[in-house]
Formats: sequence, structure tokens, C-alpha cells
Amino acid sequence: MIRYIVKRLVFAIPTLLAVLTLVFVLVRIVPGDPAQTILGDQASQEALQALRQRLGVDKPIFDQYVDFIKGALVGNWGESLVTGRPVLAEVWAVLPYTVDLTVAAILLGALIGIPLGTWSALHRNEAIDYATRVISLLGLSFPAFVSGILLLLAFAIELRWFPVISAGKLDDPVERLRNLTLPAINLGIIMAAYVTRVTRSSMLEVLGEDYIRTARAKGVPDRAVIWRHSLRNALIPVVTVVGLYLGILIGNSVLTEIVFNRPGLGKLIVGALNQRDYTMLQGLMVVYAFLIVAVNLITDLTYGFIDPRVKHG
Amino acid sequence: MATAFKVEPAEPVLSVQGLTTSFRVSGDWHAAVRDVSFDLAHNETLALVGESGCGKSMTALSIMGLVPKPAGRITAGRIMFEGSDLVSLDREAMRRIRGNRISMIFQEPMTSLNPVLTVGFQVAEALRYHRAMGGAEADRAALDLLEQVKIPSAARRFKDYPHQFSGGMRQRVMIAIALACRPQVLLADEPTTALDVTIQAEVLALLAELKQAYGMSMVFITHNLGVVAAIADRVAVMYAGEIVEVAAVRELFRRPRHPYTELLLRSIPRVDRHVSHLETIEGQVPSIAAMPAGCRFAPRCPLREARCDAPPPLAGAAHHVVRCWVRSEGGGHG
Repeated sequence: MIRYIVKRLVFAIPTLLAVLTLVFVLVRIVPGDPAQTILGDQASQEALQALRQRLGVDKPIFDQYVDFIKGALVGNWGESLVTGRPVLAEVWAVLPYTVDLTVAAILLGALIGIPLGTWSALHRNEAIDYATRVISLLGLSFPAFVSGILLLLAFAIELRWFPVISAGKLDDPVERLRNLTLPAINLGIIMAAYVTRVTRSSMLEVLGEDYIRTARAKGVPDRAVIWRHSLRNALIPVVTVVGLYLGILIGNSVLTEIVFNRPGLGKLIVGALNQRDYTMLQGLMVVYAFLIVAVNLITDLTYGFIDPRVKHG
Repeated sequence: MATAFKVEPAEPVLSVQGLTTSFRVSGDWHAAVRDVSFDLAHNETLALVGESGCGKSMTALSIMGLVPKPAGRITAGRIMFEGSDLVSLDREAMRRIRGNRISMIFQEPMTSLNPVLTVGFQVAEALRYHRAMGGAEADRAALDLLEQVKIPSAARRFKDYPHQFSGGMRQRVMIAIALACRPQVLLADEPTTALDVTIQAEVLALLAELKQAYGMSMVFITHNLGVVAAIADRVAVMYAGEIVEVAAVRELFRRPRHPYTELLLRSIPRVDRHVSHLETIEGQVPSIAAMPAGCRFAPRCPLREARCDAPPPLAGAAHHVVRCWVRSEGGGHG
């Protein structure tokens, strides 16, 4: 297992470098002079030159690349052009909110989706199965901003159980949880719907496998056939979907963050786009690159944990 | 329990009587196994022979109570074992018999073991459930079983996963699982079909050896008549869901009576005789939804007569029965 972990870690390095290079290239191929775009048509030559120097775009392209990679790796991502604060500090300030929301949504998705999908598969083509399938389809097709507003109307405005603005302090755990609940449910519904569907189909496939027949043939009780013999095999595709979706989730949480007025990476990136904050955007792309590589790494490690064929392969 | 239950030599260990297992095909129920009856004596090996799809495996799954639901179910008949009718047992009672008193091994060793559980655990599992053994005790017993089925350096391989074993070794593991609780009856569904010829011979020898050592009775399902000659005491030939002939193995090979058995034996390629072409049986097995009302083999039968439009009974002397109007009277042909 240790060897497998080390191997995955080593493989993550070239992936990360490739993504960073891509970010670098993408930012450079945007047409026009960034200094001109930032300062506008009326800017003086001196001001433009000064900004170019500050951004480091006056250096040869290869030097820029080396600077960028070095900076990205040691956490020196420059300063925001709008606030003047280091990009890293801005990211650190909102990262806990994003991590809270993402982890909570994944947990909700798994805790609801896996049992529901399993239950649905075990009652294939019965009323329970049809109901689950319709509900999960509904969960998938409901836009996050609509469900978010409905949640706010019901639980924050009518019932007043949760705050309308979820941007509270992080140091009070109760407050933190209260602020997290509605946004997490909002994202968790979609996650749960995905996980339910994947678990159901994967479970149906596993239940038809020869080794499940073997388990029954040796007199294993139904409970153990489902939990020990089937579910672990059925979870392999679920991990894939959760891993893929996690990457999307980090980016897509922006709608939820806006509806619930909650800080987060998504809101940061939209703000940076609106204000043409190039250094911020570049920094955020690096953060996303790190996050996606990290998620993939965790997914791979989870495979190794579930499926012995992976770590021996 | 085995010790408490004494089997009289004359009394069959397992008696299948008029078993009919049906499947629903586009709304209608059709019999995949029809009116199958046979007795299995103590320490006897009965070969169940026939083409793929003739109902051999489904007969075994019916005995195990593992007919795939909800598409299939046992619609008639009794399966008498240790004083009770397995067809009428509830789920839990049936579960306590499976893998304990009656075991089954399957055709596909490559896919029949769970890929995410260690081989040792999968063998020990049967003991945990049926013998209420604790972890360490079950593991010791499982290791002993793996040694009995001749897995090389079994102790070292105990915690290995199925993908680290070859097909032949996996089938040995399957045999260890099946024999863990010293069953009275072993149902072996084409256990060597997926293996190389040399491995096949080894596994067959192992099965024969363990059958003697454990004093088991065995139903050996195969389409390979060469294997039948090597392992079986008696043979039941199945065609289109029905047993068409039952006889002792030598008797059947020397004096087959049912035209299907005869054609089947003739279609074995032989090196000691010059043949210009391989014999085949004309026509095809009727589909489950389009079975003839009379003799199911009649459409392909060279001896077909008018009376074959009515279903023939399984008839003849006790040691050799045949389901054929033409051949059930006046002895067999050479």
C-alpha cells in the first residue's frame, strides 16, 4: 500500500507541472498587453512600463515561466491588482468556507446516496425503486439557485432556523455549522442524486456477478451479501463519479455562494473576472490546479483502498 | 447434522421428484426444467449431461434454492433431502443448508471469487456462518482446507486476493469453499470446462479423491462425455429441460437407447476409428417458448413416428430408463 501511495504521489508531480504550464500559456495567449487592458487607453507610457515591470511581463518569456512555476510552488502568487493584498492571503481567507461546503456536500451526498442507491437496486422495478429514480432525477435537474432560494424562503425566512446570510465567523463551531447547513444541503442534494444513480446501477451490476452467486451458494446471509460482498465492489464506480464531480463542485459552488452570500473560491473567481484582476485569476487557476490534482490523488488512493487489484497492479 | 443423520444404503441421499422450474419470457411462464426426477445414492456420482441450455445448471440451482428471481421459480415437484422438502423450506432454513449440507461449485473460476476479499477469508466465511467458528479458528480450518485442495504454500497465500491466482488454483479455492462444512452433496456445475486440459485432469482427480475421503455424493454437470466416462457412476442425459435417459455409465456408453444419447455419443470425435466427417445432430434445440407438445426431441429425431406427437414417459427397467416411445419397448439397440 505504501509503495502504491508513493507511486501515485510521484505521478501527481508531472500532472501538476503540466497544468501549471497550461495556466501560464492560457494567461499569455490572451491577446493584447495586460498592462494596457488594466490601466485603459488613457494611461501614460511610464505608468504602463511601471505596471509591466510589476507584473513581470517585460522579461523574456522563459524567465517569466521559471518565475511563475517557482512562485506557484512556494506560494508566491503576486498581489491582487484590486485590493493589493497577496493572492495567497485572499485565498487562505476564503478557503475554509469552500472546504467546509465541499466536504459537507460530499458527506451528505455519500450518506444519502449510497444507502438510497443500494436500497433502490435491491428493490429493482418496485415502487421504491421508481420513486427513488424520479426523486434523484428531480434532484439533478433542479437548478442550484432555485433550490437555494426555496431553502432560504422556508428555513431562513419562514422558520428562522438558519441565517439568511451565511458569512459568519469560523471560530464558533455552532455558528459555523448553522451557517453551513443550508448551503451544504443545497449542494448535497445534487451530489446525493448523482451518487444514488451511480450506486444503483453499479449495485445492480455487481448483484448479477458470479461471485455474489458463490456467496449465496455458501450460505452467506443476505445482509452480509449486500454489505460485505456487493457494496465494496459497487463503490468503485461511485468513487470515480464522486472524484470527477468534486472537481466540478469546487467550481460550481459559486451559485450557492452567491445565493447564501457566503465567501468562497467560487465568489472570489467571479469577482476577479469582473474586475479584470489578472494576478488574482492566475493565482486562482493555480489553486484550482492544486485542488484538482489533490482530488485525483485522493480518488486514486481510495481505489487502492477499496480494490486490491489496483495496488498490486 | 451429519453424525446425527444416518443414511441407509438403500435410501437416496437426495431425491428430486418431478421438478419443474419455469421462467417468464415476455409475460408467459415456460418450463426450463420439466418433470426432472432422479435419486442420488450415498457416495454416488451422477453425471448430468446435455448441451448448453438444456436445463442442467438450472436443475442444480433449483436444488440450491438459487433460481434467479423474479424471472424464474420452481413451479412443481419436490426435492427431498435429509427428511425435508427443500422446495417448501423458508429462506433462512434454505440458507442454513447451502454451503453446509449441500454445496455447489461453478463453471467460471475466474469470476466466481470476490475480487476484493482475500482467498483465506472467502474459505473461512462458510465456517463462520455454519459452524459459528471465531476468526482464528475459522482461519486455521480454512488453511487446512486450502492444503487439502493442494494449493502450494497455502499459508503464505492465505491473505492473497483471487487475481493473484491462476484459473486452476481458483477452482481449487472454490472446491475448498464448497467442502468447508463437509457437505453431504456436492453439485459441480462444469467445474473443469473453463480450464486447460492438463489442469482439468488434476482438478477431476482432486474431486474424485476428496469425494472418497469425505464420503460425499456428487452431481457432476458437464457436456463433455469424456469427463463423464472418467468420473461418473451413473449418467442422466438431459434434452430441452427433460431427462431423456438414465443408466449406469458403462451401460449408457455401450447400449444407449434414446436416439439423442445415441447421436450424442456418435458425435464424439475418436482417434481409433477412421471418420471422414464429424457427426452432428440435424436441426436445433427448440426455444423455451416454442417447445413441441409431444416428444421434445421429435423434430430432430431420425426414428420419429406418429405417436411421438404425445409426450413420452420416462420408462423401462429401474437400472435403465428412457423417455422415448420407440425405444422404451423391447430392449435397446447396439
